[in-house]
Amino acid sequence: MEIKKVAVIGAGVMGAGIAAHIANAGLPVVLLDIVPEGAENRNIIAEGAVAKLLKAQPAAFMHKRNAKRVTTGNIEDHLELLADVDWIVEAVIERLDIKQALYKKIDAVRRPGSLISSNTSTIPLALLTEGMLDSFSADFMITHFFNPPRYMRLLELAGGKSTRPDALTAMADFCDQKLGKGVVQCNDTPGFIGNRVGIYWLQCAVLEAMDSGLTIEEADAVVGKPMGIPGTGVFGLIDLVGLDLMPHIMKSMNETLSPDDPFRAISNIPPLIEKMIETGYTGRKGKGGFYRLNREGGKKTKESIDLSSGEYSASHKPSLESVRAARKGGLRALAEYDDKTGRYAWHVLAKTLSYAASLIPEIADDIKAVDEAMKLGYNWKFGPFELIDKLGVTWFCEKLEADGMAIPALLQKAAGQPMYKVDNGQLQFFCLDGCYKTVERAEGVLLLSDIKLDSEPITKNSSASLWDIGDGVVCLEFHSKMNTIDPQILGMVHKSLGIVQKDYKALVIYNEGSNFAAGANIGLLLFAINIAAWPEIRNMVQQGQQVYKSLKQARFPVVGAPSGMALGGGCEILLHCDAIQAHAESYIGLVEVGVGLVPAWGGCKEMLHRWQNNPKSPKGPMPAVAKAFEIISTATVSKSAEEAKSHLFLQKEDGITMNRDRLLADAKAKALSLVDNYSPPEPYEYNLPGPSAKVAMEMAVDGFHKSGKATDYDVVVSNELASLLSGGNTDMNKTMSEDDLLALERQHFVKLTREKGTIDRIEHMLEKGKPLRN
Amino acid sequence: MPNYKAPLRDMQFVYDELLASENINQLPGMEEFTPETIHAVLDEASKICEELLFPLNRTGDEEGCHFDQGEVTVPKGFYEAYQEYKEAGWPTLMASTEFGGQGFPHTFYMLFGEMLCSSNLSFAMYPELTYGACNAISRFGSDEIKQKFMPKMVAGEWSGTMCLTEPHCGTDLAQIRTYAENGSDGHYSITGSKIFISAGEHKLTENIVHLVLARAPDAPEGIKGISLFLVPKFKINDDGSVGDNNSVSCGSIEHKMGIKASSTCTMNFDGATGYLIGTLHKGMEAMFEMMNSARLGVGLQGVGLAEISYQNAVEYANERLQGRALTGAKFPDKAADPIIVHPDVRRMLLTMRAYTEGARAMGGWIATYHDKDLKSSGQEKIDAEEMVALMTPIIKAFFTDIGFEVTNIGMQVFGGHGFIRENGMEQYARDARITQIYEGTNGIQALDLVGRKLPRRMGRLLRHFFHPIQNYIDQKLEEPNLKTLASPLDKAFGRLQRATGFIAQQSMKNPDEAGAAASDYLRLFGLVSMGYIWLRMAEIATQQLADGEDPFYQAKLDTATFYMERLLPQNSTLFANIMSGSKTMMSFKASSF
Repeated sequence: MEIKKVAVIGAGVMGAGIAAHIANAGLPVVLLDIVPEGAENRNIIAEGAVAKLLKAQPAAFMHKRNAKRVTTGNIEDHLELLADVDWIVEAVIERLDIKQALYKKIDAVRRPGSLISSNTSTIPLALLTEGMLDSFSADFMITHFFNPPRYMRLLELAGGKSTRPDALTAMADFCDQKLGKGVVQCNDTPGFIGNRVGIYWLQCAVLEAMDSGLTIEEADAVVGKPMGIPGTGVFGLIDLVGLDLMPHIMKSMNETLSPDDPFRAISNIPPLIEKMIETGYTGRKGKGGFYRLNREGGKKTKESIDLSSGEYSASHKPSLESVRAARKGGLRALAEYDDKTGRYAWHVLAKTLSYAASLIPEIADDIKAVDEAMKLGYNWKFGPFELIDKLGVTWFCEKLEADGMAIPALLQKAAGQPMYKVDNGQLQFFCLDGCYKTVERAEGVLLLSDIKLDSEPITKNSSASLWDIGDGVVCLEFHSKMNTIDPQILGMVHKSLGIVQKDYKALVIYNEGSNFAAGANIGLLLFAINIAAWPEIRNMVQQGQQVYKSLKQARFPVVGAPSGMALGGGCEILLHCDAIQAHAESYIGLVEVGVGLVPAWGGCKEMLHRWQNNPKSPKGPMPAVAKAFEIISTATVSKSAEEAKSHLFLQKEDGITMNRDRLLADAKAKALSLVDNYSPPEPYEYNLPGPSAKVAMEMAVDGFHKSGKATDYDVVVSNELASLLSGGNTDMNKTMSEDDLLALERQHFVKLTREKGTIDRIEHMLEKGKPLRN
Repeated sequence: MPNYKAPLRDMQFVYDELLASENINQLPGMEEFTPETIHAVLDEASKICEELLFPLNRTGDEEGCHFDQGEVTVPKGFYEAYQEYKEAGWPTLMASTEFGGQGFPHTFYMLFGEMLCSSNLSFAMYPELTYGACNAISRFGSDEIKQKFMPKMVAGEWSGTMCLTEPHCGTDLAQIRTYAENGSDGHYSITGSKIFISAGEHKLTENIVHLVLARAPDAPEGIKGISLFLVPKFKINDDGSVGDNNSVSCGSIEHKMGIKASSTCTMNFDGATGYLIGTLHKGMEAMFEMMNSARLGVGLQGVGLAEISYQNAVEYANERLQGRALTGAKFPDKAADPIIVHPDVRRMLLTMRAYTEGARAMGGWIATYHDKDLKSSGQEKIDAEEMVALMTPIIKAFFTDIGFEVTNIGMQVFGGHGFIRENGMEQYARDARITQIYEGTNGIQALDLVGRKLPRRMGRLLRHFFHPIQNYIDQKLEEPNLKTLASPLDKAFGRLQRATGFIAQQSMKNPDEAGAAASDYLRLFGLVSMGYIWLRMAEIATQQLADGEDPFYQAKLDTATFYMERLLPQNSTLFANIMSGSKTMMSFKASSF
């Protein structure tokens, strides 16, 4: 069965977010909630939720127009809207009686065979379906989204004893392919995987920090990056999700977990946290949490709470020997470090990892599911079992034993063997029966990380590699720091041209970093500026232009496949590809003005061409120039691939993939589809308006400056950009070539690198990590 | 017997003409240091250097210091000279006004200090070390300590030392073993041995104030666990007078190649009372602060020795009659021509002159940044501090290297007589030799330059050098009078840029690349910097010569031309060395050495 229309009942944060994301997938969705007592507008809750979604930061909709796909209503007047939907998601308050009553109403109107799911995080499925018809239970399952539903990739899927297997498969496929989720099949147990392991971990880390007298900064520094856990650490994460959530979850877990579950032993809420919740210190959404911003005296000071006294004082980033040891010696060096922070790391790891190991097969059939859930739901770089491998199974078990802790059956069974191993180029995981199973990827999932297990790169340097991904397609992977484009990457692009031309059919530019490419390496640029190496800077610009140009003129198709940020020089390489297959969560933009520069690796040239040839643009040379100017001068970054289409960073024919794991396969298919009869694009020609247009744009900038929207130096940079985009000293009757525009790009770029304002901006960006508004 | 005349004309040129645009006397607190004041003081200084200190230089070298049962005797005349020097108020010149100093600019000190070093380097070290210690105490000491020690030290009543080196560690101070224990009254009790302590023991002053690096209780391991302590030779009574012995003793003195009248001591601290200077375990920060000015000071020693060697070489070349000019007799009435007729002798003399005058000017130029660092605020101060930080290793190593080269050439001009003690020339070479070694060997300076200064803030320090100089050269290339001088500098500057980029890139992959390039790179940097300052001097000379002939400016212009044509070309060799990388050295088998 195919899911073509969806309804979400319950327009709270989760329900509304799920509805928005279904709209992002291109499906019509009905969003219903109750009618508040005495309400004039009986749809007020659902309508208000959509209004809030439109303002949400980060955005819930991938494009504002997606909100139109959401039909709002209430459950008293509009239940008939459920009659033609294929999937009904229930996301109402976590009360069994209310849910069950609702299910009865739903079942009365729904189309037979339509799927029903609950987004409950704590109530067992068996209880939810109690007393329902068998036909209902057969169609019922749990789809547990994480907040915010658009961005968190984990979706826990749990079926009951009566759930139709084909219903589960249909749901898994839909959530994977259409919603882009990482679907993890769980058993019907309290908190499933993410909350069972994740909340245990959080609570454990809080209690241990209190017991060992650590500051919260110390705790976050240890249970953070060194463990591959996001830098927010534990206390930062609790601030983010809300302190009040903890007692709530504890309570419901305690109601359903067996009395001897270790979770119960740590589920007490410390008095400090109770008091914080009472006084409104519920985290970022409240007055602050473990960390708070003190705005006294007009300054923002980050403060942290003292876990023993409850007093706040200025927050200091700790410098820990244990963390330094981990940088050199890895996770084990951290856990072995003999000071209070090292011991803390060990206690948190020991408890969390052994608890996770003890939960197989209760919560999931295998370790892979648990690792997936923790990686996708908590952004851990490594799952619990991957962490155990980092520590070493034997070492971990010996140390547990030495500490008098129980060794989970799974680890006993492993008897020193690793949780994961690579056999014959295949990733395998350890199973409870003592055997290893190969990690199977779904059809249409192709991962570079898998390819790397089974092959060597065609060639590589310090910043980029080329991989044979089969069927005659080569993948160009960036792996420089933050994937910034540097001379090595340019060198590899250049090299790839010859290699693909000779032995392959097509090239895909793709990587599995958190960002496709954060821009050109401006550190190198600043160093060159600092030593006044102006000719070298001009060469650097020219080299990039030439490499991108030859990429475009290559006699084989090139497909760019971004995910995450593709900024500046990273955006420009995409603009030179024949086609793009973008992950839906791609953030693309030409942000050069932020560091006082103009795009000069063909970015201006390509944007002008795209807007000139946009059938929707008004005729004449001016509209395209004005549009490119508007986008580039404000450093516009698309907040999704869909938005990137509106900016023409992506073109109409370019594809969007919802699931990150399917991006490479989609990009490869796209590249192969272009192979037959491929010919590189004809060179572009431009008729640009010249100085008159420049003056018009300068006047506009002047207006922004007067109204305070543009800074002094924005004006300088904008004027350079205006001169560039209007074609310099040209007029509409002169035809310019791509090379003419590249020469203009170089000229204005190099000129700006000599300006103090630009140097200050670059330096600020590198040292402070944010733009300078000079 | 050698002679010394302070090069007052050239010093005035540097202060009044070359550095006029730096407007030192417009910095806050510097208003009174007009060129007139500076001239008057330099004039007085020249007298004391020429008449009081210089005559003791040779005798001091011959006699050396003597050690007997813990006591050090300085050579004859030193005690009296020191008293005269002190009573005339010379020690107060550079100290800040707060404790009775006169707060003269560093730019002035580059000239005054040079005279001291020319006339008697061994003597100069006693007040110089006191001045260095004063800097550290006034920056990092508590008010109580300052009140107690500074007035006496500023006045030259008490002297100072820096106690860093221990028998097993010099460059690597992380290994320091001298330790501090908590004593009574919040003081510390210091125990350990220090070696190579200049001015560690003598009776020139009533008390000696040692600044000692040591490990305090519970100190972290390594370089982050070192603190700085003030340990006086005699304890100080509550009324400020000098009291009992403080368990500080001199175990012996070193027998050295040069600076023989400077007492170089092994110092033993045996539970001596010490006072913490600055923050506990942060002693290296204070030390680095002192090192910057100390290293500039050592660079100056190279210039001073080069100057006196040059003066005497010129005199000798004019007087020494030997053989005939290659193109025929120039003085047929004399038994032979003076050797100055020979191109090779002139090559030597002009090399000495171009380096010496170049270094004097360059040192003055960098000293203006030192003054701006101390007296200005905000971004200007940061920029000045960064420029000083960048140039300090270059001044130290390049100036002392050329100091030794020049004094060595000076001996050569004298022929066999250069090797004879009585003629004085070999003493300058011997005295110069230590300057390449102490205060961080020149190899360490080069590593500091490539390892610390280049990468700092993505090369931001370099901007203060490269931008103004690039602009200046570009301008001068357009001026017909200066084009021929600017053009070789332009080429050398381009090589320096490329070498800088090369090192920055290579060292990211392999730190040995930076290490292999370091010394050649520092020299290249020094040569180009000196080329820049020569071009500026040539510009002034050209302007002056347009108004009529003047031998001073003509000589300046000619020396500038010599520098550009004869000394600056080393840059291409250095560049080739740098670009060849580390492989030839690092792939050589250790067992084959």
